[in-house]
Amino acid sequence: MLSNIKIEYVWNLLKYKPGDPLLFNTSLFLILFFFFLIVYNLVKNNKPARVLSLIIFSFYFYYLSAGYFTAILLVSAVINFFFGRWIASIENFPKKRILLVLALILNIALLGYFKYTNFLLQAISDLRGTEFSPLQIFLPIGISFYTFKALTYIFDIYYDTLKPTRNFFDFVLYLSFFPNVLMGPIDRAADFLPQINKEPFISKDDLGRATFLICSGLLKTVILSSYLEDNFIGRIFEFPLRYTGVENLFAIYAYAIRLYCDFSGYTDLAIGISLFLGFKIMDNFNSPFKATSIADFWRRWHISLSKWLLDYLFKPIQISLRSWRNFGNVIALVVTFFVCGLWHGAGWNFILWGLYFGVLMSIALFLQKPKEKLYKALKIHNTKFLRFFQIIITFHFIAFSFLLFRLSDLQIAKDMLSQIFEFFHGEVALQFVEKMPLIFGLIVIGFVSHFFPVKVEAAIKRSVNTLPLTGKIILLALVIWLIAQFKSADIQPFIYFQF
Amino acid sequence: MISQELKKVILNELDLDDFDLQDETMAPEVPGWDSLNHVNIIVAVENKFGVKFKSYEVLRLKNVGDLQKLLNAKLGK
Repeated sequence: MLSNIKIEYVWNLLKYKPGDPLLFNTSLFLILFFFFLIVYNLVKNNKPARVLSLIIFSFYFYYLSAGYFTAILLVSAVINFFFGRWIASIENFPKKRILLVLALILNIALLGYFKYTNFLLQAISDLRGTEFSPLQIFLPIGISFYTFKALTYIFDIYYDTLKPTRNFFDFVLYLSFFPNVLMGPIDRAADFLPQINKEPFISKDDLGRATFLICSGLLKTVILSSYLEDNFIGRIFEFPLRYTGVENLFAIYAYAIRLYCDFSGYTDLAIGISLFLGFKIMDNFNSPFKATSIADFWRRWHISLSKWLLDYLFKPIQISLRSWRNFGNVIALVVTFFVCGLWHGAGWNFILWGLYFGVLMSIALFLQKPKEKLYKALKIHNTKFLRFFQIIITFHFIAFSFLLFRLSDLQIAKDMLSQIFEFFHGEVALQFVEKMPLIFGLIVIGFVSHFFPVKVEAAIKRSVNTLPLTGKIILLALVIWLIAQFKSADIQPFIYFQF
Repeated sequence: MISQELKKVILNELDLDDFDLQDETMAPEVPGWDSLNHVNIIVAVENKFGVKFKSYEVLRLKNVGDLQKLLNAKLGK
């Protein structure tokens, strides 16, 4: 009887449950990963066994998030593996292009069906003025990420900067690699595939970096993201009219740091876990709120996506329209950011969010030269004074754009703005600090740690590096203990899962 | 090896007095050579040398050395 209950309990824990993906910051993941690491270390010197063990664990990890729709990942792997070989085998360029277009159509059809069908049908029925009831279409988690990963392989083969792999299992591993299958980074096949053939070697530096990243990822996702969301941001965004402008403004600032911590924390965990397995995957963030312009922000935020869009969408449009010079640039910018918005979600708010950046970047393009002249005339060019104001202004453009990112109901965004501009009540700021010291403290910690000088950050990383193994284990245990204290409620799902 | 003519066109387009352009030099390493300015450099090279690049030829360039090779091929050098 007791053993039956135990078996049932374990079975329930290990099987797919809709809407309950396996998160890196859960104890279940940590336990499964620990056992997997033991197996991995036993087989890691044998390539086929190493690859197979990684594929099996990756597919099981993905199955826990997508159930039977895990098959879509396999379908994508088959399509792109064979298209890669096919494109590479043809010398005639127009024929290569036809194959590229075919591969693009298949990938976009797969992504489009699951992600955009209801949105498209809704838009058509809105235009016609008819009623629409959404179709029951399951959105396989991470499909946007692994489709874009697969496309880096196809594009690079098309541009002849990458030779296709002959080994199907290597490609399956690239596409399904569990640390980045659900939420990126959108790693490049050209960087990942060569690593599969090397015997994993984890240096002392890698171990130190992995420990640092896992600690920072846990602290960011649990304390700075989930705790702030549950105890402050969510409440304000739900009923903004109940609060003053000060609280609404603090919620917008807190949401900016929460979004950053949520996503970059997950990325830290993904990179740290990969390092434990002997793989180096690309970084995704570089202190984005230190950006001095919108263009600079997109070089620092979700780097793997912005680089993807730059290389495979912006540049081809820009180069094709090069005779139009800056107007070609404007078209390329608007199209790229429209796609960027749409990639984030099937909703008008995401499209508006993307277009907002396309328009801002286009305006900045025409203002660039007059601005430089003005700065030189005022003798503030390249000064810390100018940099400070550029960072503040850029941050506000970004933080307010996140209203569109979060809110599909634009009325709430309007309410928040009206509270800020018409019902500010600056005196409430002091009361806020007094009544909610932990919330305020966490927001301050979030921003202060974000703006740490590079030297300080490097010194912290070095000190983790120099810890002996037992020191690293104690540090990790301390962080786990600390986050357990903060887990006041269920963990919030990572925001980027929905994409 | 980057020719003096090509170097002159690139530096002129970027308003730079001098910069050590090597075969391995990549665009982000050169001050002002960003993704928006890239197109101006390509057009300036095409106009100066009277050549026309195909889009895919430009998109596969990885560094200045690749641009020099492509230019040489177009000029039949």
